[in-house]
Amino acid sequence: MLPAVLAMEAADKGIDMLALTDHNSGRNLPAFAEACEIVGITGIFGLEVTTLEEIHVLTLFETVREALEFGQWIESILPRVHNSARLFGNQFVCDLRGAIIEEADLFLYGPADITFDALIDQTLVHGGLAIPAHIDRPANSVTANLGFLPELPYSAVESIAMPPTVETLGYTVTQGSDAHYIEHIGRRRCFIESASDGFSGLRSALTAGTVSYLGF
Amino acid sequence: MMNVKELSTKLEYTVFALPDPAAQVVNGYTSDLLSDVMGNAAEDSVLITIQAHRNTIAVASLIGIKAIVLCNGRTPSPDMVVAAEQETVALLGTAENQFTTSYRIAAALGIS
Repeated sequence: MLPAVLAMEAADKGIDMLALTDHNSGRNLPAFAEACEIVGITGIFGLEVTTLEEIHVLTLFETVREALEFGQWIESILPRVHNSARLFGNQFVCDLRGAIIEEADLFLYGPADITFDALIDQTLVHGGLAIPAHIDRPANSVTANLGFLPELPYSAVESIAMPPTVETLGYTVTQGSDAHYIEHIGRRRCFIESASDGFSGLRSALTAGTVSYLGF
Repeated sequence: MMNVKELSTKLEYTVFALPDPAAQVVNGYTSDLLSDVMGNAAEDSVLITIQAHRNTIAVASLIGIKAIVLCNGRTPSPDMVVAAEQETVALLGTAENQFTTSYRIAAALGIS
């Protein structure tokens, strides 16, 4: 899925704010940022990090630079395993026009050498938002892999089903499309209410819990 | 050593996919962390796990694991069954837990 097509598709579907969170890598964020600027939506720059416990966590940043730095650090603590494109797919990095700049050789799906608790902490220390992903999924979620949701300073938690089918302990809940294919963009979305625009608006809406969902 | 068909019949497993009944297994590996499987499991093993999704097949194929036994009555997602056929990995199931499955497979394979 080309970063620019992602931004165009989101704009077509009336989405104002969109995060790109590739698994354990920020390499496609520069093209995504350019595309968001062109189509006039707010880009949020992040990664979906895999922790040592194989829990997926969304880490979101305001600027591409912050996300790239965080992404470089995450890549540096991934297992030194080569990707098998046949089994896991190609790991292309594209520019704005969709030309392939490089293909990452490092297997980007493995777990980073950091625990769940430490990743939440490090994301917040680096100025990001830390959101445990799809906490109601049977695989790669904090609920499935730990058996419970530890009380940590999450920015929010993400649920696929709404209302959530698992314990959310009063944390703000977000809903996202987890789109791996173009047709999935916007299949789930949430609405935020905030006095400010952009990333700071997102941060304050998550803190205040002023988030609502389609049908609720 | 035993083939996956014999193993499945002897231990009365549910068969979700059996693309190569004659595939030989010589050992086992028990883990629910796929990164651990990827780093430590040996080829020609049977993988004992509760990870009933497609990525488990990809990891098994990468390592050369010939069979997967899903424990605790877990059932595979439909795309996992398709992937098992494509990658020629036997996909079996049991109501037993990982501990029981492990020692019964060890006994069947003559590992003590």
